[in-house]
Amino acid sequence: MLQKPESGGLPVPQAKGEKDGGHDGEPQALTASQEEAPSPLLQESPKEDLRSVREEGSAEPALTRKGARALAARALARRRAYRRLNRTVAELVQFLLVKDKKKSPITRSEMVKYVIGDLKALFPEIIARAAEHLRYVFGFRLKQFDRKHHTYILINKLKPLEEEEKEDLGGDGPKLGLLMMILGLIYMKGNSAREAQVWEMLRRLGVHPSKYHFLFGYPKRLIMEDFVQQRYLNYRRQPHSNPPEYEFSWGPRSNLEISKMKVLGFVAKLHKKEPQHWPAQYGEALADEADRARAKARAEASMRARARANARATVHRW
Amino acid sequence: MHSSTRRAAGIMTDVHRRFLQLLMTHGVLEEWEVKRLQKHCYKVHDRNATVEKLEDFINNINSVLESLYIEIKKGVTEDDGRPIYALVNLATTSVSKMATDFAENELDLFRKALELIIDSETGFASSTNILNLVDQLKGKKMRKKEAEQVLQKFVQNKWLIEKEGEFTLHGRAILEMEQYIRETYPDSMKICNICHSLLIQGQSCETCGIKMHLPCVAKYFQSNSEPHCPHCNDYWPHEIPEVFDPEKEREAGISKSNRRSLRSRQH
Repeated sequence: MLQKPESGGLPVPQAKGEKDGGHDGEPQALTASQEEAPSPLLQESPKEDLRSVREEGSAEPALTRKGARALAARALARRRAYRRLNRTVAELVQFLLVKDKKKSPITRSEMVKYVIGDLKALFPEIIARAAEHLRYVFGFRLKQFDRKHHTYILINKLKPLEEEEKEDLGGDGPKLGLLMMILGLIYMKGNSAREAQVWEMLRRLGVHPSKYHFLFGYPKRLIMEDFVQQRYLNYRRQPHSNPPEYEFSWGPRSNLEISKMKVLGFVAKLHKKEPQHWPAQYGEALADEADRARAKARAEASMRARARANARATVHRW
Repeated sequence: MHSSTRRAAGIMTDVHRRFLQLLMTHGVLEEWEVKRLQKHCYKVHDRNATVEKLEDFINNINSVLESLYIEIKKGVTEDDGRPIYALVNLATTSVSKMATDFAENELDLFRKALELIIDSETGFASSTNILNLVDQLKGKKMRKKEAEQVLQKFVQNKWLIEKEGEFTLHGRAILEMEQYIRETYPDSMKICNICHSLLIQGQSCETCGIKMHLPCVAKYFQSNSEPHCPHCNDYWPHEIPEVFDPEKEREAGISKSNRRSLRSRQH
């Protein structure tokens, strides 16, 4: 499992707040407000049922016994439906948490298949409530990762930890360290590395593809399956290669969770040099930083606008 | 008319959120680890606040988790009564938390091991007996060598404990799956005579057959020089373990493995 919640994925120290905007610039978060209190979406309202029952009752001044029974039956059905909705939301929250532990993106069709079932028509409301629970209770943001394919991931909204705050409570450090090595190699080789190059580097570290490793398990499975499935790495056949050769590049999740500058810094530290020692990579990393800063500014502005609109709407509701 | 007896939900802050995230990462933690974790969360997110008493802290979080049908549950390890904590599902579920970590045949292997453990007298199932069932597994065919690795995965993920080639349920599995086990194996499962919870390992009365958890035995017979079966009053023939004392443990500094080998498995 590659969950390392303190940093949202990769253990390199990050500048405060930088992570939140993401690289894509568009705030696809389903909740825009940043307040501590739970949103009105979460308010349990059994009172609503009673209120509507009373309203209906007052509309019919002479309630026959049959009428009263029908009324009670409707109220019961409403409460049952409400409970069922809540139950489904709770199950979806658990489903998303468990799925995200594996770091593989979750598709809408999976959610419908395993959790939502025939409440499919209520998908937007269910996922909105689930997102709100995830934000308020756990500090995760449910982000639509790929709008075309309706896939989602969870991003950790809690502030990234300082170096001295990081106690080694988890066991995923080594796997993420291995990933960092691979990301570093890919970057230094010009954003893609041949499969052979990756394995050669790892062999030098005593990691062999099919030999069981006490920290990584079966490295071949970890890298070719887990990292690729979790979108940390892309694995592609090199075009026009005969015999076919394959190459690795950064996956979309790596782009979201870490930056070129940080990976360059990691590589630099390994070689006991400064990042500027590699001018091409350094220049590229600087450009990447500028892109991210712009995207973040856009995202923040948009979120503020959304929060203002939300606050106005909330006032009207009361 | 249904009246809401639900207590007012507490307030979540980043302290609580970090705590939940880290607890989820680890699956299960011992009490001293939980306390350390709590302190860590305060230090990171609310340095100047007083650290709330653990019980209240957890109750606060649980009141918020109630609407999600999960809770932070406290249990004790069956062998030496150490308090442990895990985030568990309140609604009945099968091995759902495991379901995304493991393949179909791996889950089935766990179910087979679980059944053997519940049926056994000692609460332990031998590696050989589990591996012999490999041919009956659902899903992709699994070789015995692979099954051995899968069993090790279960141990690493704290679903099973291994002792001298035999497997029993980790405290985490008991916390998570007690409800599931009650519903799936109501006839073969065993219950502790004192606390009435699921019993996997424990001591039995040789006369009437009632069983008790080792920590329950320790508490029940504490400072009793002539222990008798609470059910049939016959003399209780087994060694009475000591009540778990976190203070004493830290002073003595005895390693976990040492203590385990000192205590013989009784049944």
